[in-house]
Parts: sequence; C-alpha cells; structure tokens
Amino acid sequence: MSAVSIVNAAAAAPLQVVLPEWTAIAPVLILALTGLLLLTIDAIWPGRNGNTTFAFVSALGSLAALTVTVWYLVAGTGQVGGSITLFSEAIVVDGMALFFTAIFTSVAALVVVASHDYLAGHENAASYYSLLMFATLGMALMAVSNSLATVFVSLEMASLPSYALVGFLKKNRGSVESSLKYFLIGALSSAVFAFGISLVYAVTGSLLLSEVAAGFDDGVAGFAGVAGIGVLMIAGGFAYKTASVPFHFWAPEAYEGAPAPISAFLSSASKAAGFVVAFRVFSTSFMPLLDATPAIDWALAFAVLAVVTMVLGNFAAATQENVKRMLAYSSIGHAGYALIGLAALTAGGPHNGDVMGAAMAHLLIYGFMNTGAFLFIAMVEYWGVGRTFEDYAGLSTKAPFASLAMAVFMFSLAGLPVFGGFFSKYALFASAVSAGFWWLAAVGAITSALSLYYYSRVVKALWIEQPNGNLDAIDSKPTGLYAAVIFAAVATVLLLPGFPIALETAEAAASALFA
Amino acid sequence: MSWIAIGALALIGVGIPIAMMVVSALLRPSVPEQGKSATYESGEIPTGTARSFKFNIQYYMVALLFVVFDIETVLVFPWAVIYNDAVSTVGLTRALGPMLLFIGILVIGLVWAWRNGAVEWIKSPRATRRKTQKQDA
Repeated sequence: MSAVSIVNAAAAAPLQVVLPEWTAIAPVLILALTGLLLLTIDAIWPGRNGNTTFAFVSALGSLAALTVTVWYLVAGTGQVGGSITLFSEAIVVDGMALFFTAIFTSVAALVVVASHDYLAGHENAASYYSLLMFATLGMALMAVSNSLATVFVSLEMASLPSYALVGFLKKNRGSVESSLKYFLIGALSSAVFAFGISLVYAVTGSLLLSEVAAGFDDGVAGFAGVAGIGVLMIAGGFAYKTASVPFHFWAPEAYEGAPAPISAFLSSASKAAGFVVAFRVFSTSFMPLLDATPAIDWALAFAVLAVVTMVLGNFAAATQENVKRMLAYSSIGHAGYALIGLAALTAGGPHNGDVMGAAMAHLLIYGFMNTGAFLFIAMVEYWGVGRTFEDYAGLSTKAPFASLAMAVFMFSLAGLPVFGGFFSKYALFASAVSAGFWWLAAVGAITSALSLYYYSRVVKALWIEQPNGNLDAIDSKPTGLYAAVIFAAVATVLLLPGFPIALETAEAAASALFA
Repeated sequence: MSWIAIGALALIGVGIPIAMMVVSALLRPSVPEQGKSATYESGEIPTGTARSFKFNIQYYMVALLFVVFDIETVLVFPWAVIYNDAVSTVGLTRALGPMLLFIGILVIGLVWAWRNGAVEWIKSPRATRRKTQKQDA
C-alpha cells in the first residue's frame, strides 16, 4: 500500500504545479456547463423532443466530471500537500470532496442512462435532464463548501431542483402530492438550519468553518446555550437532507411518488450529499466543542439519532407491502448506519478517521447498490407490472438478468458476506467497536439481521414464487434501464475485491480532516 | 436592563390594539345588519367558493422571472457603485468578467424560458369566443 501512496505523491506534485489552482473545482464547472448546455440546446430547437440528445449530453457531462474527479483522486489533488482552498476559503477541494463527488457523478450517470427509457414519449425532457444536472451540481458544491454560507446555498441548490424532479410527473397526483410534502418539510428544515447557522455565527463571529472551529476552541464562555441550540438546529438540517430521524418522514412519501430514477437519485446521491456536508461541518468546526465544552455533546446526540434511525428504518421496512416503500424505509435505516460515522467520534480519538472513513466507504457502495435497486423498480414501473411483493412474483422468468442483479443488490444491502455491502458494514461496525462504541455496532448488527428478512422477501418473490399472470404486459426491453441496472450490479460485485482501495482512500481523506 | 425595555415595548404593542378594541366595544351601539357581515362591506358581492377561483399559471411565471431579475439587481447595484474603484485595483477583466458570467448564466435561463413560451400570454378560448360573438351581433 505504501508503494501506491509513493506513486501518488510522485504524480501529485506536478499536477498541482502544472494546472492553475482554480481547476481543482473542474468537476463542479463541468456539471454547471452541462446543465447550461442542455438549456441552450433546448432554446435553439424548442419543441423538438430531444430525449436522446439530452440524455447523451447529460451522460457525457456526468461521466466527464466523474473522470476528472477520479483522475484528481488518483493524482492526489488536494490530498498530498494539503487541501486547496479557493474564493477566500469558501471552497475547499480535498480527498473527501473528491470522494463524494465521484459518488454523485456516478449515480447521476446511472440515473441519466436509466431515465432515457423512462422518459420516452414524455414532454419537457430538457427540463428533466437540466434539473438533474443542476441538482448534481448543487451536491458537488456541497462536497466542496468550506463556509456555512456556501453550505446553506449549495444545500438549497441541491434541494430546489429535487422538489421539481419529484413532482415531474405533473399529471400524476401521487407525484405532485409527494413533491409538495417534500417541499414543505424541506422549507421547514431549511429555516431551522439557517437559524442554527445564525446562532453559531452569533457565538463565533464567522461563517468560515476553520474560523468557527477557532472560535469554539477558545470556549463558548456564557454562550453555551446559544451554541448548543445552534449546533442542534444545524444537525436537524442535516438530518433532513440525509433522511434521518427526526426529519425522515418525507422520504417514504417522496420516494414512492417520484419517478423511480429520481427516487434512486435522491436516496443515494442526495443522502450522500447530506452526509458529506455534515461530516465536514462537524469534524472541522464543531470538533473543539467535544473537547472544550462537554455540555454540548453532539456526538451523543448523533449516537441516539443513529440508534433510533437504524431501528425505525429497519422495522418500518419490514412491515411494508409496497416494494418501493420498503426500499425507502431501508434507505432510512442505511442513513442510521452512516450516522455511526459521526456518532462514534470522540475528542482527539485515534479512531476518528477510521470511523468516518468507513462510513464514507459504506456510502460509496450504498450509492451503487441502492441506485441499482431503485432502477430495477423503475424498470418494473416501466413495464407497468405493479408495486407490491405479490406483483413481483416470478419476474425472473421474464427478466432473468435484471432479477439476478436485483438479488445482488438485495443481498448486498442486507450485508451478506458475498457482496460489497458486507465489507462496508463490517468496516463500519469494526471501527465503531475499536472506538469504544460497541453498542452502536451491536444495534447495527441486529438491525442488519432483521433487514435480511425483508430484502430476501424480494428475492423470494422474484425467483421462487410462481408468476400470477400479470407479467404478460412485459413486451419491451428498455436497453438503457437494463444497462444501468447491470452496470450497478457489476460495480457492487467489483467493489468486493476493490473494497480495500475504496476504504483506504476514504480513511485517508477522513483522517486528513482530523489532522 | 435592555430586556425590560423590549418587554415593555411588547406589552405596549399588544396592549394598545386590545385597549382600542375594548374601548370601542364599550362605546359603540350595536346594530346588527346583514350587509355588515359580508366579506367585503360596500364592495363586490362574492360569488362561488374560494377554492373554485383559479389564477392563471402565467401570473406565477411572470412573477418568477421577475424575482430572478430582482435578485440580479441586488447584486448588480453594489457592483456598479464600486465598479470604477474595482477596475483601478484589480483590472478590467477581474472586475467585469465575473459579472458578465453571472448575467450570461441568467440570460441563458431567460432565453430558454422565452423560447419555451414562458412569456407568451396564452389566450383564453372562452374570452375569444365571447368577443367574436359580440362582433357578430
């Protein structure tokens, strides 16, 4: 492994010297240009249904952003020789930012490819793809934001297109209703979040994350109440974005009503975006509070939230009859696992980097397996087969490869030791144990065991139960959806041997924050 | 001490309107009448329910476009005030470039909305029919 890092170091130094510093945010710029290009194309030829053109341009744009991100990750941009800050430190490019940008762009590429079939014959394809690109842009900005102002603006940039995308099927009452619910809860939690930022600003006198940390370093003398409420409100804003308790209840509604590719996008990329910004704000700015002000023990608050989220998400998922709703609750459960990355932090703890890195690696693998699972639902919606477990019975006779991929996603989400999902959960629980939080790991392991029950119900329906006559509607092969599902499955399987590399990258990126 | 002042302000702020209502309730004679209980006294008589009344969606489109350029003005105005100083400190490109970029992004959005018919006023078929009927008569 040390050989790899030496190669990285050798390659990295020239890259940062060769390229001007602003190119560090090239992935963000590429996404912005792609979105604007889509609007320009549609403005030049309005009314022409360019579904294929738009899908092609957006896929190309997100893949280009992904390529640049992976190149930077390998070349060590922002990792070797410290992070790169731009715009008076409002933007920071480091390992964590690049790691999460890679998640967002790959999920966006999968969703774009899958949407091509889903949107066939739909009007306004341009607005769909451009909103998708702008949402991805907002998420990429969340990953690089280094000031509470940029955090808030980029969070809104990611949220606003998402509301519109959830309600994209304008004539579908479910879609519009879920969009409105999502918007109202989003507006409420944005207000809470902005209020929290203002309270933290009142105590520390700065919005820059590093200066907030310096302000908290000196102790909050006499303002512990204000600071504590501010931190709690900011945590609430992140709980909304990551769909964790207590702001989780929009998730099942929004995921069920939204077009399934958008559910995939929200439950994977949007959740990861909430986590990247929560990881950065809490590990950079609020870490001194754990040390200097024991009264504001936000790690304990996250531990409680993690336990409640894991238990609630998994138990609620077990009672669902609708597969999409089951996946929505399971994604709440997975938010609980990733929350361990914040809950198991301690002041100056030697395992902080490991815990957070493991949570990051889990979000990477989760990004592929969960996107794939929702895209399988999209395929079933495309065929018009139905939504419940019974409707899925015997699908493997009609679509064996997709059903096989779905089985991979389900077992990987459950954490069976044959797919990538096992290692990420194992690394997460192991690091929590070594940080001294064995009870978090225990709750995680128990709820994972429970999750095997409802995930295997899907596999049982697909492969063991007999078709009940509703599968005759399947007469088409949506190529793009198929390709996206299969690719996500391949990535989930490949992340089994590739997991050590992902984990090492994530832990290095996380440790850099605690250095 | 300052909290006492704020408390006093709140007390007076709530107290004055309540006092006015109480005093007028004590002084005025009570003459109930049907016209007084209407929603708009001495105005239009409301017809139908509030739910059946729908605004044309285009009002919202125009309002949205307005908000975009309203916000733009908020940024352009302080920029214009310091423009000359900025050019002499950081040069023309760094003073003008970012603003051109910002306006350029907005222009792409506006052109897109325009080309997709956001500013075309859709005609109501019923109103057109009524107009032609009047001309025919």
